[in-house]
Amino acid sequence: MSREYAVVNKITGEIVSRSAGFDEAAVSERMELSEGRELLLCGENELSRVNLELLEKLQEAQEANRAKEVFLSNMSHDIRTPMNAIVGMTALAKKHIDEKARVADALNKIEVASAHLLSLINDVLDMSRINAGKMNLSNELFSLSDLLHDTLTLIRPQMEQKNHDFQFLIGDIHVENLFGDPLRLRQIIVNILNNAVKYTEQGGKISFQVYEEAPTDTCPLVFVCQDNGIGMSASFLQRIFDPFERVSSSTISKVEGTGLGMSIVKKLIEAMHGEIFVESELGKGTKVTIRVPLKYETIKVETAALAGKRLLIIEGDETMQAVYHRYLDDFDVSFKLVASASEAIAALTDADFRSESFHGVIIGSRMEHTGNVFDLGGYLSKSFPQLTLVLVSEDNWDDIEYRANRNGIHHFIPLPVFRKSLLNGLNQAFLSAGEQEGASGTPDLAGKRILLVEDNFINREIAYELLGSTNAQVDTAENGAEALEKFAKGPEGQYDLILMDIQMPVMDGYTAVRHIRALDREDAKRVKIYAMTANAFAEDIQKARDAGMDGHIAKPIDIQLLMQVLRQFQ
Amino acid sequence: MRPYQTKYIENAREILKLDDFFVVPVVVYEPWYEEQVHRAQRMRDLKRENMALLSENLFPELEELHAASPDQIRDLEAFADVLMDWSANLDPGVYVVIHDALLSLYRFKKDRNNIIKELYKLGMGLYYLNRSLNGIEKRWTAPFRFRNEMVFTEAGSYLKFFEQIEDKDTRGYIIRALANIAICAQDHKRRIAVSQQVLNIVRDDYYRQLQPDLPWDVFLRRTNQQMSANRDTLSRGNLTTQELAAVLESCYEVFKPEADNPDPNIRWLWPYYEMEYSCGFVDLQTTMERLERLIDQSSEDRYDTSSMYGSVQLSVYYGLLMRRDESLQTKLRYTKFLTHAYAKMMRVLLSCPVDKIDNYTHYLICYVLTDYLEIDGVEPFAQIVPKLMRRFSGSMYVRSAQAADLMALLTGVIFDSDPAFFDDIPLLREANPEGKRAAVTDFGAKCGLFHDLGLFKMNLLRIMRTRDLFEREDQMARLHTVAARDDLRRCPSTAPYADVVYGHHSWYSGAGGYPEDYVRNDNPCRQMTDVLSVVAYLLDHFQGDPEEVLNQVRTLARKRFSPLVTAYLEEEAVQQGVSRILTNEEPYYRRLYDGLTDRI
Repeated sequence: MSREYAVVNKITGEIVSRSAGFDEAAVSERMELSEGRELLLCGENELSRVNLELLEKLQEAQEANRAKEVFLSNMSHDIRTPMNAIVGMTALAKKHIDEKARVADALNKIEVASAHLLSLINDVLDMSRINAGKMNLSNELFSLSDLLHDTLTLIRPQMEQKNHDFQFLIGDIHVENLFGDPLRLRQIIVNILNNAVKYTEQGGKISFQVYEEAPTDTCPLVFVCQDNGIGMSASFLQRIFDPFERVSSSTISKVEGTGLGMSIVKKLIEAMHGEIFVESELGKGTKVTIRVPLKYETIKVETAALAGKRLLIIEGDETMQAVYHRYLDDFDVSFKLVASASEAIAALTDADFRSESFHGVIIGSRMEHTGNVFDLGGYLSKSFPQLTLVLVSEDNWDDIEYRANRNGIHHFIPLPVFRKSLLNGLNQAFLSAGEQEGASGTPDLAGKRILLVEDNFINREIAYELLGSTNAQVDTAENGAEALEKFAKGPEGQYDLILMDIQMPVMDGYTAVRHIRALDREDAKRVKIYAMTANAFAEDIQKARDAGMDGHIAKPIDIQLLMQVLRQFQ
Repeated sequence: MRPYQTKYIENAREILKLDDFFVVPVVVYEPWYEEQVHRAQRMRDLKRENMALLSENLFPELEELHAASPDQIRDLEAFADVLMDWSANLDPGVYVVIHDALLSLYRFKKDRNNIIKELYKLGMGLYYLNRSLNGIEKRWTAPFRFRNEMVFTEAGSYLKFFEQIEDKDTRGYIIRALANIAICAQDHKRRIAVSQQVLNIVRDDYYRQLQPDLPWDVFLRRTNQQMSANRDTLSRGNLTTQELAAVLESCYEVFKPEADNPDPNIRWLWPYYEMEYSCGFVDLQTTMERLERLIDQSSEDRYDTSSMYGSVQLSVYYGLLMRRDESLQTKLRYTKFLTHAYAKMMRVLLSCPVDKIDNYTHYLICYVLTDYLEIDGVEPFAQIVPKLMRRFSGSMYVRSAQAADLMALLTGVIFDSDPAFFDDIPLLREANPEGKRAAVTDFGAKCGLFHDLGLFKMNLLRIMRTRDLFEREDQMARLHTVAARDDLRRCPSTAPYADVVYGHHSWYSGAGGYPEDYVRNDNPCRQMTDVLSVVAYLLDHFQGDPEEVLNQVRTLARKRFSPLVTAYLEEEAVQQGVSRILTNEEPYYRRLYDGLTDRI
């Protein structure tokens, strides 16, 4: 029995024993009674409050217990699933150890399962580190543009897999070099976007917007991620930041994760002195807004090489067109925006005809009608060789560089495009083009030495003339044997490039190249050799490759193609 | 023309005559077979000679084009023009090589008018070459068509300077190039926009008066035809009101007179009906009835373009409408007519006389292979393919039959040693144990039989018989695995073999081969594909000595070929079997003969 009940009982007993006494006594007793009643009432209130508290604590404990049970069950399922794959696939690989393809298949699956397992473990460790107060944020300089490009590259394949309509919107961003913890910021954004992807059904819409609020000593960046996915109930929304919570839905079949993501995100944002707001409606979608104040660095944008340049921008996406206008309108560079490859060709021939050629082309993220950026690059570099081609793409440059270079595109600006990254990227492109190219658009190969092997006098003269305009030192040979002798007798590393005719008297091009490649000297293996031939048979071109040549240039000498090849040697 | 040019044309024409559009044999087997052997040998000799003519004459001439005389250039152009002739279609590939070289020359010389002319001609050459890509999914063919479109676009973009360019021919090339963007543009809205622009130009007195002697009315008629070719987008193309009106107007211009004609030509009447259906003027049932009437009215024995159009193209179109509206496939009335129409289609195709076979016939075969609807009652696609192959490419059939036997041999041997080897294919895994060996070898044989269906469809064989492929054509030819996979997949009787055929030029190690996006581990039939890639190599690289080609395969084990498959080539019985199939084509000619004479 509680203390309050004991007091009440005592008072009540006294009242009963004194009730036969005097009026005064009765008055005073009545007063006591009234006090007692009040006390009783107080006691009852206190009792129910305590009861309530107890009940709440019990519920909390039960909830925590339930969440932990759910977590344990989730973890046990989530850990067991990839572990099963790892164990099973390892056994299968061992069983088929002699069969390379099956082993490779098993290893691929093990790789995927391990990566998933690792992310689970990382989440749990992050959470425990945060709970123990051991999460330290770094404070390093990073580029917002790079951070977002990397993040989107990471997330985009999942969106493509689910055929999501994804929109990335950039507000006016002036401060792109920031101080903070880029890894943790990326973790936050990836987590938010990952959730949008996970909980938005096939073909749904996701938008991600970033903008800055007026900077003071810090720059408050705002990221808004909005989807039209399955959304959350009001009751779940209250628990969204609780650890181990996950949305369950019959429409999203198997959502992987520990249920720790949003807790981690919230704690990380709090550690960055930021805020997070989540709005959601069941069946309609979710909007997550993150505001993070970051210190910034002001860097002067280098644009000297851009002065007076005429640019053609091929961009079919209206949002991106607006971005180009915003960034370039207030800058001293003349540019024309077109939406398709055909409009670009028309603009280029028009400009050429008027002798007002463009200096460069930005091949943007989307083209109207048809066309692939690489095919377009290939066509432009062949037909309009004076142009500096700059590709703006969401891809990783490392992944596409080879293909881009083969199609005459040597410069790259990653998406999302910010003012600084655009201007710096263009400046860099024209700087290198200016350093390397003379007024005629030919590359400057001063200091390079080329061996030109050609039996036909006129062709030799033309090629010599063209190569001479690059400032390279050009030696000539009239047949394969002479070329072999010149190469073999010259010092190591003498030639940077050999241009080799195929059909020649004394020794043909194939034989000469085979002999050169077989020479016992270091540069024989690495010197670049290009065939020059009109022979269009696929088999002959393969024969040139088999003989050790690095490529071929069509004849009659295709000046554009030749220049494209020579650019590699700048 | 130079002697080598005349000779090349002569040879190409003879090859065309020798080419295997096989007449149903009226003679007994032996002399027929001897004739085939003679033909094949003659074609090989002519091809060798042609290759030498190009390597020793044309290519050196192109290499020295900077020093070429005007006469030489005129001869080259004349040579190219003969090779490009539409009906004979002798060799558009050489036409492209010549005009590509001339374009480089004029770009070098900065000769604007000739640049425009060569851009136009190159565009035409590419267009004809690209026709072999018909019926292949757009995403694969886009790079080829894109270049074509850009070449015409570049020439057409000089329209702005029409007034300054004072040469009649150049002005004509500009207008024609501009109009031709519409024949290779992949996006229908762009096609409509371009045609509309050209219609405005050719109707505009400003241009007409600048050069009154250009055939403006011909331009107008052809542009209307190009615009009307967009009629299938009327109901499915999400067109704006202006676009709709533009297409409709051209359709009326082009097709209405024929619709009003008491004895209309089907080729013009059907497009009018199609337009009426696409616009919703008539319903599907009426359209199907109209189709039925036109198909039935088409002659079975005239083989002129109109009859072939009615019997073949419209039959395929009937099936296509049933594919688009699946509910029709459950109605006996339509399935019965489709069976009837397809039977007529095959009768007409298989009995078509040699002198009536032309590019249009090939277009029709391509159309059949691309859109054949296999439902209960109609002849299965698996039977249609060998019939068409026998009739229109006997040598392809012989080669495919050899592939089928090689596949049966190898899969049988592998099964005997490891009955579970092909169990990644559900059909074989679940096969009755007693019949499993037969199921495996039959599956393998079908893969062999269909493995070059794509090449058959692309009609590159004729070029391959005239000479080796140029690099550009080789890139196109690589799409044959994709083309075959997609066609096989569409029909239940061939669908199980699609993935195997798709991968037969891939490498085991993934370090080479094609298609580029092929991932061996994603192929559910990769073990069978491994066998087919060995078989395809044996056939492609066999030069008369089986031991030599087997050695090549052995050296490529683990890289290009699966070591699990090449290991079986060590068995003497396998070597003998391979050798027998590669060196003796006679049994396959016998099968061809039997097929052509309806003995099988």
